[in-house]
Amino acid sequence: MFFKKKRIEETSSDLYQENIKPINKGKLIEEARILFNTIDSISGDERIKILNKIGSLYFEADKIDDAIKCYEISISGNKNLGKAYTDLVKLYNIKVKEAVKEKDDEGMKYYMDKIDKLLQLSKDVIRGRA
Amino acid sequence: MIVVNFIINNILTQASITIALISLFGLMLQRKKAGEVISGAFKTLLGFLILSAGSGIIVLSLIYLGKIFTEGFGMQGIVPSIEAINGQAMNNLHLGNQIALTFLAIFVFNIIIARFTRWKYIFLTGQAILWMATMTTIFGSFAGLSGAPLILVAGLVGGIFAVAMPAIAQPIVRKITGSNDIALGHFCTVGYIFAAGVSKLVGDKTKSTEDLELPKGLEFLQDTYLSLALVMIPLYVITAFFAGAKFGSTLSGDVNYVVYAFLQAVQFIVGVYVLLAGVRLLLAEIVPAFRGIALKVVPDAIPALDCPVLFAYAPNAVTLGFIGTTIGSVIAMFLLPKFGLAMILPGMLTNFFAGGTAGVFANAVGGRRGTIIATIAHGIFITLLPALLVVSFNKMGFINATATDVDTVTAALLFAWFITPILKAI
Repeated sequence: MFFKKKRIEETSSDLYQENIKPINKGKLIEEARILFNTIDSISGDERIKILNKIGSLYFEADKIDDAIKCYEISISGNKNLGKAYTDLVKLYNIKVKEAVKEKDDEGMKYYMDKIDKLLQLSKDVIRGRA
Repeated sequence: MIVVNFIINNILTQASITIALISLFGLMLQRKKAGEVISGAFKTLLGFLILSAGSGIIVLSLIYLGKIFTEGFGMQGIVPSIEAINGQAMNNLHLGNQIALTFLAIFVFNIIIARFTRWKYIFLTGQAILWMATMTTIFGSFAGLSGAPLILVAGLVGGIFAVAMPAIAQPIVRKITGSNDIALGHFCTVGYIFAAGVSKLVGDKTKSTEDLELPKGLEFLQDTYLSLALVMIPLYVITAFFAGAKFGSTLSGDVNYVVYAFLQAVQFIVGVYVLLAGVRLLLAEIVPAFRGIALKVVPDAIPALDCPVLFAYAPNAVTLGFIGTTIGSVIAMFLLPKFGLAMILPGMLTNFFAGGTAGVFANAVGGRRGTIIATIAHGIFITLLPALLVVSFNKMGFINATATDVDTVTAALLFAWFITPILKAI
């Protein structure tokens, strides 16, 4: 009954990727690299848009650290709430899980603290404080 | 034996020392260096004592408000403030030690349930767990429990809520986030589900709130304490006017009665400021220790995070949710006394965080129309539940305050309506 595992609840977004066609990660990474080379020549909202696009491509290609880097640059340039925030929470959570797997206490704390800071920033932004 | 008795009777009965020891063990389990263990435990001790000091300030201010409100309006005016409830439970009912141990027990039960069942939710919002511990301990104690049974029952109920609430919210959280990676750890979930239900009935999800152009910031809420002042100062000053100069002066001594009312309102805000500073210091050491242990014991855990985790998915819905919930809570303030319930004053911060999150839920299932209607209903709902608790709080000797987060209220009503009658019948 209570303890019986009738159905194991899925704990990752794999659940939502079951029916998706195989991803060509190499192509995604290449596209991200090409876009990354252009960001120094653009500024303003367009730059943020491109950074978010690169972050999204890296995330899709499982390049977690690169995706985090792009989204963090994006948020430092424009704090408006959006995909950079929602993806970053998921990315930090992946890093927490990796750290737990590797028994890396410092890494776990580092990324949990990053989640806390991001949530605090979300609060501040919506209250017009950031 | 004399030493052991001394420790049990004089040291372990002190809530601040108990919670510092919990922190000490948590840090030791994480194999921190001796210096970090000692400084962490000491900071926790300080945090708890600061929290108690803040509680004392709040209680004194509320006693004053209670007197002038009854004189001015001939009825009880209730401030929805979980901080005030916590303060009175620790200072007047002397439940600080039990609350500290229940806080630990909720963590432990949460881990046990997540480890051995298919509900893998680990509740990571420490402050919310402290408020849940406060409520389950108060109502467990009122049910006649004490000592270890109180801690176990209050901890078990809190632990079940810590898993059940994220689990109940998860189907809609999945809809919002598009994944099952994270969950919502905020003890206002009953209200969110209520708002989503209303929104589904009346809404049209094809028209999202995010297609609207709304002001970006809610500037007047930029500061927690300014937004508190926005409600508390007019409340105290207007109430003092209604109570009149003659009555007001009996409480204000040499100070003008209106000026005294203003200063008492500020004292309330000071109390909340001090209390929350204490909470932050207290949780800064315990929560990371708990997180570390919980995520190791439940490696496939789904972390249940604080409500801002959903704000970025629908910022307009947050704004509309706050406005709708505030309108609803003002309607309820005037409506509930007509049904013989206490007048509950709107809590702006609860309206913001719970209302904003309710907006995100409502938008996910019923679009903008659903969000507007459902969040007004949500405002009424989250005012009604605390109003139902006032009778119980009055019986226990609480002064002019009720709880806010509706899941903690639900847990308290569970005790008041079911567990207490059962225990008293045995």
